[in-house]
Parts: sequence; structure tokens; C-alpha cells
Amino acid sequence: MQPLTAPVSVPVPTLADDVASDLASVALVLARRFAARATMWCVSPSWPAHGRHLAVEFVHPVIVGKRALPAVHLDGDIVTTVRLLARPGDIVAALGTADDAAAVDVLRRCEPWGLTGVWLGAGARPPAGAADHVLWIDAADGADATDAADAATAMRSGDVVLLYHLLWELTHVVFEHPGLLHTEPACGDDVCITCSDEGRLAEVTAVVHGGRAEVLANGNRETIDVSLIEPVVPGDLVLVHAGVALTTLTSPSRCSP
Amino acid sequence: MSVEPTGFLYPFIDADERDASGLLADLAASARAKIADSASVRADALEQCRPVLDAAGAAMAQRFRRGGRVFAFGNGGSATDADGAVDLFRAPRRGRPLGAVSLVDDRAVLTALANDVGFDLVFSRQLIAHARAVDIAIGFSTSGNSVNVLVALDEAHRRALLTIGLCGYDGGAMATTDTVDHCLVVRSDSVHRVQEAQAALVLALWSAVQRNLDEEIGDD
Repeated sequence: MQPLTAPVSVPVPTLADDVASDLASVALVLARRFAARATMWCVSPSWPAHGRHLAVEFVHPVIVGKRALPAVHLDGDIVTTVRLLARPGDIVAALGTADDAAAVDVLRRCEPWGLTGVWLGAGARPPAGAADHVLWIDAADGADATDAADAATAMRSGDVVLLYHLLWELTHVVFEHPGLLHTEPACGDDVCITCSDEGRLAEVTAVVHGGRAEVLANGNRETIDVSLIEPVVPGDLVLVHAGVALTTLTSPSRCSP
Repeated sequence: MSVEPTGFLYPFIDADERDASGLLADLAASARAKIADSASVRADALEQCRPVLDAAGAAMAQRFRRGGRVFAFGNGGSATDADGAVDLFRAPRRGRPLGAVSLVDDRAVLTALANDVGFDLVFSRQLIAHARAVDIAIGFSTSGNSVNVLVALDEAHRRALLTIGLCGYDGGAMATTDTVDHCLVVRSDSVHRVQEAQAALVLALWSAVQRNLDEEIGDD
């Protein structure tokens, strides 16, 4: 019969060298956010065990003496729940493969909500701009990058656990450098260049009379002109330039290539 | 408690430090070393546990063929490892789905038992309620010494379940008790490296079960 299973051999880690640099950069970002009283909202729609593991890692460190950091795993309707609970400056950490529609949706709303989005996963990489920061396990040698089952195997091999173990550890190392905790870069590295050229991404929160709508943009509430793109409904993502909504985003991708 | 080799990363505590480039280089170097260490621990664990994986995979497949189910349990990160194992057996992206239940899944049951009879019994009491002799118990404890995991494995053994334990360090009590039929030990004193290797061991164990079930069907 057709063999149903993968060979018993488990892929050895294939973490690219640059993932170490990515981890270092993201750890610095996380430590700065935590120092500014951020909470990390952990979402993993298809991999709840990973989201819970990530959260417990930060809340209850395995090394005695390390401070507990606020991290919460959320499941269910994560877009609605993160929108309700998160405050500007918070972190969203999503775990999953690039085809995870719920992860895509919550991460692309991080910009209007004023949150920092981090995506940890394996297999084929998400498109550029899908999250502020991507920590990724590329497909193993011999594995098909486009094969969902191979990506699932990579999610389970221990590499993704290694990613968030290191993220936790490096974040705590940054805390030993208090002088670096409050130094935000003059030009934020979490702004999507493509988007900033086009306009700001905003989420419609309420429609008001006269072709106007209340939106969230970069965590701030403002009223904009939506007469060019009506009708809009709460939850719509729109591109705003100079107080005018130019277009509604329908694609799951936040940025045009 | 293990001492993590990160001391070299704390050359000074300087509130006036402003240039992050040196720190970022140190962090990346530390990450590279840990990535290599993780790979080595995982490869060693898979190699050393190969006979146990083969035997446990065959024994589990036999029980699944007779209608057995997996009950998995652990605390904290190990609870999520139990959840992950259950998810893998029950809903693999490839291969046949097999019955598995996580004993950390139901917060009503967990808190009721913890409140009324104590946390040491939260898993064993659930096995008493659910388990049949044909079933399989899988306990996760990085130290090998979590009391509620050991008590549940004892209870499972008493009820003739197949018992499988995953642990780290030197295996702790889990490696020496005669109530664990198959013990998978990751020889590392880092909880993190142990958990990373356990993920690979669970995947290998699942794969061995699937292969055994394929072969049995092929023999029919």
C-alpha cells in the first residue's frame, strides 16, 4: 500500500544562521516593550500548545530569579479579543504556518492597533510585511516548502520551541542592560516602508454621518473622510492619506509586493 | 538548578549604555551556540532512545489496534507538550488519526480535583475515571520527579495500561520506577534543551506507531 507516514527519522534543526540575528533584534524590541509595561498576547490558532507554552515561558520562568513577564495565551476569536484587550505598545506573538488565515488577520491589524507583531513559524515564509518581525524555521533539506504536512512536521520537530526558548532567554539578557531598554530608534524599524509610502493603515471602528468614519490608526482614534470608498463597516481596514481613506484592503496581505 | 552559561553576557551593568550593537552581536552569538547545542542534544536523544522508541512504538500500535487510547499529562511547559502530543496523534496532517486525550485539557476537572483532593492526584483521579486496561498513559516531566505525573503513571501501571515516560536530566524517579514500561530520557540539565528534544522524540514515537500500523495492515 501507499505509505502514509513520513520516515521515522526526524529532521535535524535547519535554523539558518540569520535566525540568530533575527532573534537578537526581536529580543531587544520585546525587552523595550516589556520595560514600557507591554503585555504580550500569544495567539496560535492551529497550534494552541505552542501559544500556551510561549505564554507560560514568560510568566513562569524556568530559571529561578528571572522576573515574570506579562504574557497571555488567547484562543477563540482572536481578532475580537486582542482588539478588546490590547493597549497601544503591546506585543502580539503569533505562532503558526504562513497559510494561517487567523494569524494573518490579527498580525495585519497590529499597525492600526499600535501593536508590535511577531510571527514565529515554520515551512514556507509569510510574504514580506506580513508582520513587523518574523522568526522562521525554513523547510528542512528534502522537505517540500509548499507541503502543508512537511510544514506541520517542522512545527513539531522542536525547532519552534527552540525559537521561543531563545527569545525568552535573550529578552532577559537585554534586561541586564538598563541603558538600552529605553532607547527607541529614531526611525522605528517596525514601520512597513511600502505602507508608509502609500499612507497609513487604519481600522474602521464606527461609521458616522456625512461620509466620515472613526478609525484606529497607530493606536489612536481619529475621524477620517471615507466618502471615496463608501460603504465601509467596522472592522474594515483602509489606507488613509491626509485624513482621507483612499482604498479598502481586501487582500489578506497587508502590503503590495 | 542548572546554571545557564550566559555569564559572559553580563560584562557590566551600565545605565548609560546607549549603543546596542555590541549586545546584539553577543545575543546572536549566544543564540548560535544554543542552536548548535539543541541540535546536538536532539540528535543524541534520538540515537540513545532508538531501542525504546522502537519497542514503545510497537507496543502502542498493538494497543491502538485493540481500541486503546492515549492519555497524556504533565505540568506547565510539559502540559503543553502533552497537549501537542495529543494533537499529533488525534489530528496528524499526514497518516491515520488515533484516539488521544489530554488530561490537562479540562479546567473544571483540573481545578475541582486540585481544590478537593490535591494537585498530586489531578491526573491519577482522571485515569481512574476514564482508563481501560488497553489504554496508554504518557507522562511528561523534565525533572522526572513531578509527583502528580509519577502517581498517575503508578496508577496507570496498576490498571495494566501501557506506561510511557518522557523526562530529562538523569531521568529522576521516572527512570528508576518499575511502573514505567518505556522511559525516554533526554540527557541534558537544561529544561529548554530537554523540551526541544522531547518534541523530536514524540514525533519519532508517533512516526514509529504509524509505521507499525502500516506494516500490520500490510501483513493482513
